[in-house]
Amino acid sequence: MAWQEKPLGFFTDTSICIGCKACEVACKEWNQLKGDPATFTADSYDNTGQLDAQNWRHVQFIEQIPDNKGTIATPTPIAGGQAWLMMSDVCKHCKEASCLEVCPTNAIVRTEFDTVFIQPDVCNGCRNCISACPYGVIGFNEQAGVAQKCTLCYDRLQGGLQPACAKACPTESIKFGYIDDLHAVADDRLAALQKAGYQKAQLYGRDTKVYGGLNAFFLLMDKPEVYKLPNEANATLPSRNNLPGYVGGVATAVLGLIAGLVAFRSGRMSGTDHTTTGRS
Amino acid sequence: MVSLAATFGRGAMTNHWRDIKHADVILINGANPAEAHPVGFQWFVKAKLDPTKGPGAGGGAKIIHADPRYTRTSAMSDMYLRIRTGTDVAYFGGLINYVLQNTLYHEDYVKNYTNASFIVKEGFDFKDGLFSGYNPATRSYDLSTWAYELTAPPAQAGGQVEGPATTQTGFAKRDMTLQDPRSVFQLLKKHYSRYTPDMVASITGIPADQFLQVAKIVGEMGRPDKVMTIVYAVGLTHHTTGGQLIRSGAVLQLLLGNIGRPGGGMNAERGHANIQGNTDHAISWEILPGYLRIPAPGQKNLDDYVRQSAPVKSDPNSWNFFGLNYRNFMVSLLKGWYGAAATKDNEYAFNFIPKPATNSSWMSIYDQALKGKMEGLILNGMTATSIGPDVNQVLQALSNLKWLVIMDPLPTTSSEFWHGPDMDPSKIQTEVFMLPTTHWIEKDGSFVNSGRWMQWKEQVIPPEGQAQHDHWIFADLFDRVKSLYKQQGGKFPDAINAMTTDWYKDPKKPELDEIAKEINGKDLATGKQMSSFANLKADGTTTAGDWIYTGSYTEDGNLSKRRNGIQDPAKNDPTGMGFYPMWAWSWPLNRRVMYNRASADSDGKPWDPKRPGIQWNGTTWTGDVPDYPATMNPKDPASWNPFIMNGEGVGRLFSSAMLDGPIPEHYEPVEAPIANPLHPSQSEDPVVFLYDQAAGRPNRFGKVDKYPYVATSYRLTEHEHYVTQHVPLLVGLQPQAFVEIPEELANEKGIKNGDRVRVFSERGKIEVAALVTKRLGPMTLAGNKTVYHIGIPIHWGFIGVSAEQNPERSKYWLANALTPFVGDVGARTPEFKAFLVNIEKI
Amino acid sequence: MNPAEHFAAPPEWQWWILAYFFFGGLSGGSYAIGTLLRLAGDPRDRRASQIAYIASFIALIPCPIFLTLDLGQPTLFYHMLVDTSGGGLVFKPWSPMSLGSWALLAFGLFSFVSFLGALAETGRIRGASSLASAIRGLPATIWGVIGTALGLFICGYTGVVLAVSNQAVWSDAGWVLGGLFLASALSGSAALLLFLARSRRDVDLDTAYRLERADRYFVVLEAVLIVLFLVAVAVAGSLTKVLGIWVLLWIVVLAGIVVPFLASRVRGWPPVAAPLLALLGVLALRALVIFSAQT
Ligand SMILES: Nc1nc2c(c(=O)[nH]1)N[C@H]1C(S)=C(S)[C@@H](COP(=O)(O)OP(=O)(O)OC[C@H]3O[C@@H](n4cnc5c(=O)[nH]c(N)nc54)[C@H](O)[C@@H]3O)O[C@H]1N2
Ligand SMILES: Nc1nc2c(c(=O)[nH]1)N[C@H]1C(S)=C(S)[C@@H](COP(=O)(O)OP(=O)(O)OC[C@H]3O[C@@H](n4cnc5c(=O)[nH]c(N)nc54)[C@H](O)[C@@H]3O)O[C@H]1N2
Ligand code: SF4
Ligand code: SF4
Ligand code: SF4
Ligand code: SF4
Ligand code: SF4
Ligand SMILES: [Mo]
Repeated sequence: MAWQEKPLGFFTDTSICIGCKACEVACKEWNQLKGDPATFTADSYDNTGQLDAQNWRHVQFIEQIPDNKGTIATPTPIAGGQAWLMMSDVCKHCKEASCLEVCPTNAIVRTEFDTVFIQPDVCNGCRNCISACPYGVIGFNEQAGVAQKCTLCYDRLQGGLQPACAKACPTESIKFGYIDDLHAVADDRLAALQKAGYQKAQLYGRDTKVYGGLNAFFLLMDKPEVYKLPNEANATLPSRNNLPGYVGGVATAVLGLIAGLVAFRSGRMSGTDHTTTGRS
Repeated sequence: MVSLAATFGRGAMTNHWRDIKHADVILINGANPAEAHPVGFQWFVKAKLDPTKGPGAGGGAKIIHADPRYTRTSAMSDMYLRIRTGTDVAYFGGLINYVLQNTLYHEDYVKNYTNASFIVKEGFDFKDGLFSGYNPATRSYDLSTWAYELTAPPAQAGGQVEGPATTQTGFAKRDMTLQDPRSVFQLLKKHYSRYTPDMVASITGIPADQFLQVAKIVGEMGRPDKVMTIVYAVGLTHHTTGGQLIRSGAVLQLLLGNIGRPGGGMNAERGHANIQGNTDHAISWEILPGYLRIPAPGQKNLDDYVRQSAPVKSDPNSWNFFGLNYRNFMVSLLKGWYGAAATKDNEYAFNFIPKPATNSSWMSIYDQALKGKMEGLILNGMTATSIGPDVNQVLQALSNLKWLVIMDPLPTTSSEFWHGPDMDPSKIQTEVFMLPTTHWIEKDGSFVNSGRWMQWKEQVIPPEGQAQHDHWIFADLFDRVKSLYKQQGGKFPDAINAMTTDWYKDPKKPELDEIAKEINGKDLATGKQMSSFANLKADGTTTAGDWIYTGSYTEDGNLSKRRNGIQDPAKNDPTGMGFYPMWAWSWPLNRRVMYNRASADSDGKPWDPKRPGIQWNGTTWTGDVPDYPATMNPKDPASWNPFIMNGEGVGRLFSSAMLDGPIPEHYEPVEAPIANPLHPSQSEDPVVFLYDQAAGRPNRFGKVDKYPYVATSYRLTEHEHYVTQHVPLLVGLQPQAFVEIPEELANEKGIKNGDRVRVFSERGKIEVAALVTKRLGPMTLAGNKTVYHIGIPIHWGFIGVSAEQNPERSKYWLANALTPFVGDVGARTPEFKAFLVNIEKI
Repeated sequence: MNPAEHFAAPPEWQWWILAYFFFGGLSGGSYAIGTLLRLAGDPRDRRASQIAYIASFIALIPCPIFLTLDLGQPTLFYHMLVDTSGGGLVFKPWSPMSLGSWALLAFGLFSFVSFLGALAETGRIRGASSLASAIRGLPATIWGVIGTALGLFICGYTGVVLAVSNQAVWSDAGWVLGGLFLASALSGSAALLLFLARSRRDVDLDTAYRLERADRYFVVLEAVLIVLFLVAVAVAGSLTKVLGIWVLLWIVVLAGIVVPFLASRVRGWPPVAAPLLALLGVLALRALVIFSAQT
């Protein structure tokens, strides 16, 4: 089966993520990533740390145990994906992608599936995309000398397969498919959770408010910041600073030029002894 | 497994993984499926996401997790109860009490499908923590005081009416009104009346109000249109009270009428991919394949054996299928093993089977080695050193051996045990042989999952290096032993020489498919494969390597290879209940839910038409493969009871097949932080097996003054026991040994997250990193005592990627250095899950 | 306004980038000053102007080398200009790095020609006098003005490269960084030329005096922008990122700023000390901005 050339992506439902990291491992196996050197971080069950060139999937563990009594769901539910949040993070394949915007070599392209792909043979390792990605997704692979991140398994998609991580996910927390279909699934799930009283449950990147919509969007059980995701107010493109940056520069340049001209021109004043020892 | 057999008749998960999606409530106790069974956990999630499931108006199944630690499973649950380790009998007991006091049980079911109405003999008693019949000298019970009161002699004569512990001469007396004070029902009611919410709280640490919230939901599950499943694993088994812990859940499920029903059951999540297959094929010393008992000393012939082993028919409506067929199964097994050498005249070679005089369970092996009574040991795919208990003692045991053979694809802490902590290699004489075997991924064969599905797998990669298949090594070994017997004779050569290898083209290199075929068995007259164990005979004309697998490899071939699944649900799942009868094969006879007769009422109508197991359509039973005669009319007053494997034909609320009590009672772990609030004078299980004491070694148990913290050991998703220490990607996910400690305790002890700590017990120590977390926390017991748990993941030792990179740091990484060398009386399972420790910052 | 929250990963732009920002700034700034000296029209400044052009080009030479060495794939530096995936050239005006690459190329041409012109003027290279005469007059002025525009672009776009990101500090001070780098490049270049002027004898003292004055103006401009920078960063809630250990660099920056004002008052300093300190301040400012955001 081949995939149609329509936006494809992920809906990651964090409320049913069991933090098994199968996605992390499947991604590494398929993409032949070794992982960073093993270190014990003492940060809950997360020893991966971050998304980078060796980790294109990263499962976050956020402990939010409210008190220390043996505690039960009601009235403030601590179970049900709320007290220990797990979230499998990945490149968001932003519709308006910061990385793609700044890349000077056109190494970063949008594929026929509307995913964001770094062409490894085009990238020259300038790392501008890293400074741009608001999600800290991209890493620099020292050996290869290029920037790397989730390819949304472009190779597998071209072969009609689904991404390795989604395939490995036992609970279908990572759902892969056409974005339009996933939107409907996500809306239903959100409605069910809200009905069950999970007031903080929310979709992230399902609408256009963050980066024009994310092709890897999420259902979160708390505010985006808790998951290290910029909220709507903070989700801004790097290019927002182009115009102000240049205007500031030009204004400074004009002031500088005037200052220079003034400084140099007014040198004609007489009577100063500075001129007396001149050669001319 | 022991306790399920003692309750329902077979020792296995009653339902299967996929079936969990049918539940309204999922009670998880002593299991952490999101971490230990992540793939199976998808079915929990499906139940949760299904709006038609759940208590009350539905809206999704409710998952209730009781665990000392808040785990990845808790995070997925609707309710989490912080329970003290080893106290689930009190929790289930409290629920049983709630259900009984509030008349929430499933009345029809309890009356007809359980032994509630059975009358227990005069003389049965329970006082101060002891059941009647206790002998303190032998630390054991005389089970005869736990028998039923009998009525008229049996209707028909025959071998199957005699029984093991009770030489019985009639059927059990019943009171269908359940009012008789000696009826099982009234005994139960009385027994559990002590398990009030406050008592539950003071034993388990679960606050009474939280307990009552759960009780309310659970109580609703006695309605015929609701169903609950209980899921457990080694969080219940790894206790000296393991059998009772599991039975208490089973009793609750029987009272709620949830056994035999889709979405219900008492579901044991098994361990290794093929541990169910192992158990079925007699990995434990006390059984033969198919749970036939190992012959006992004194049994001179098959008659003796069957009389003392087979269940006894104790109700006129009991089919007693197992009891009736015991001899057929045994003879077919013997015929399969000894072929032509098994004849009517030599009792089908019955005497070739050893009759062990002493307990030969797993810990007993080390015990014998410690006593110097064992010369050599073959460890086949098993890491003795790491798995404990009490590693230091196990290491001592291995040092006492003359030789040790390791059959394993990889180095293990046993194959290099002399590198273990505090070992002095110069003092160890044991000669160690390493026989590299293929890993399961390098061979074909079958895995039998928890749900009893025998699923064939292919070889994924070719064997590496000099590795040999385990079964070829054993075949070769067998061949050599046989030739030695032939050349040199020996004390009892027949048992070896007579064994048949007719099944294999090359007896030194048997194919696994040939073995599967052998296990199924054949009709010797026709040469055809047997299609059902119902046709096995005791006259030597049939064979069965393991009767419960008869039907798996018929004339149609190896059915475990079938793959008709979700690619076409309409065709492959005709009932829509997810049975997928043409996917692989499940024992017994491809039944997916065991005891499924109990899913329908006395007339054969499903208790819940939305979740039918089997139903009577007037002429046959339809749906799943019936665990019942396919055409037996339920309206016939002579029709059989639903639990066909039990002598009673019903589920046992009261079971005399348990060695430590017919009704589950809460006992403290051998090392406990408090005295048993129910009966302080008899705090722990009176019959628990104390190996050291029995062997004349001093008991090494810690007391709470020196070791104030409760420890429990467990798995993490990221590792598979000890073997994944060789897998770099997984080592990266959890790179080193650590313990989880509650924040309050850490503060008290001045331990910061990530610090190195020493945790020590009366037996040994570990030196690992501390992960400080609020997921563990204090609990209040016995009114006012605050107790902390320390969590100890089991996965590390001195072998593996990170250990070898850092030999100094990894020196004391073996969790089992801490655990006590004791065993539960029935299964002799060690108490891995509850022991006392102390902790200090290094 | 809510403080901005950043979750971006650091691009690990380190020493090569710092070196480029420093030399690029000096090159662009020197070029601008060289042109300004000519536009101001005092013939006594010609020598200083020549030195400025020469310094501009010399400072520019290592820049592409630094930039290339910073790449993960140095041999693919040309991918900044040639689109190997789509064909043709890559020109993404909204990507400061892309724009900067082209600007650097163009400025290189202008700087080189002006450099040759300056050399020719001095008569040091034989046969160059014809070139010198060719670029005299109006064409030379136009050339210098365009070159100055490019040079100033080089000074400032580096700040915009940082700003056009999602990094804390950089993107928080998005509208200031370009100007800040430009102003500090000018002050640094003025200091450099002052240093050169003072360390040789062929520059008119009056030129040097006016250079000194220009330097002071530039420093004032820079100081104002530093304040704006701190305000912007503070408003975004990232102030703590540029403090802490970085206070040491701030001291150097501060020294670089006050030194031009103090120097004339303090007797006994070697005349080159003040411009050197100022140059250090310029370096420190860039180091501070580059490194603080990435830790
Ligand atoms: N990732 C992974 N999966 C595995 C394995 C593995 O090594 N790694 N091993 C496999 C094997 S062999 C087995 S046997 C299974 C075991 O599967 P599980 O039994 O689920 O595994 P454990 O982690 O040993 O224990 C389960 C939970 O029991 C809790 N617990 C301890 N004592 C008690 C108690 O008294 N009461 C209650 N309610 N809870 C208690 C522990 O805190 C723990 O969370 O896992 C299998 N699956
Ligand atoms: N404290 C504490 N101790 C425990 C437990 C606990 O919860 N707490 N859990 C207990 C439980 S439930 C279990 S099951 C045990 C687990 O203990 P083990 O079963 O000993 O542990 P594994 O690491 O799974 O060891 C299996 C070995 O089999 C090898 N192997 C794999 N495939 C093959 C094959 O095809 N052939 C052969 N010959 N070898 C093979 C592997 O390389 C590995 O060395 O640990 C027990 N010990
Ligand atoms: S998440 Fe980052 S790397 Fe992925 S598309 Fe968006 S900006 Fe690019
Ligand atoms: S590192 Fe590669 S992908 Fe990223 S911006 Fe530079 S050239 Fe583009
Ligand atoms: S889509 Fe492919 S590359 Fe991206 S995280 Fe999943 S497995 Fe890795
Ligand atoms: S595989 Fe699925 S359930 Fe497991 S960590 Fe990844 S997203 Fe979560
Ligand atoms: S390790 Fe294998 S058996 Fe265990 S959950 Fe994963 S897939 Fe299933
Ligand atoms: Mo196990």
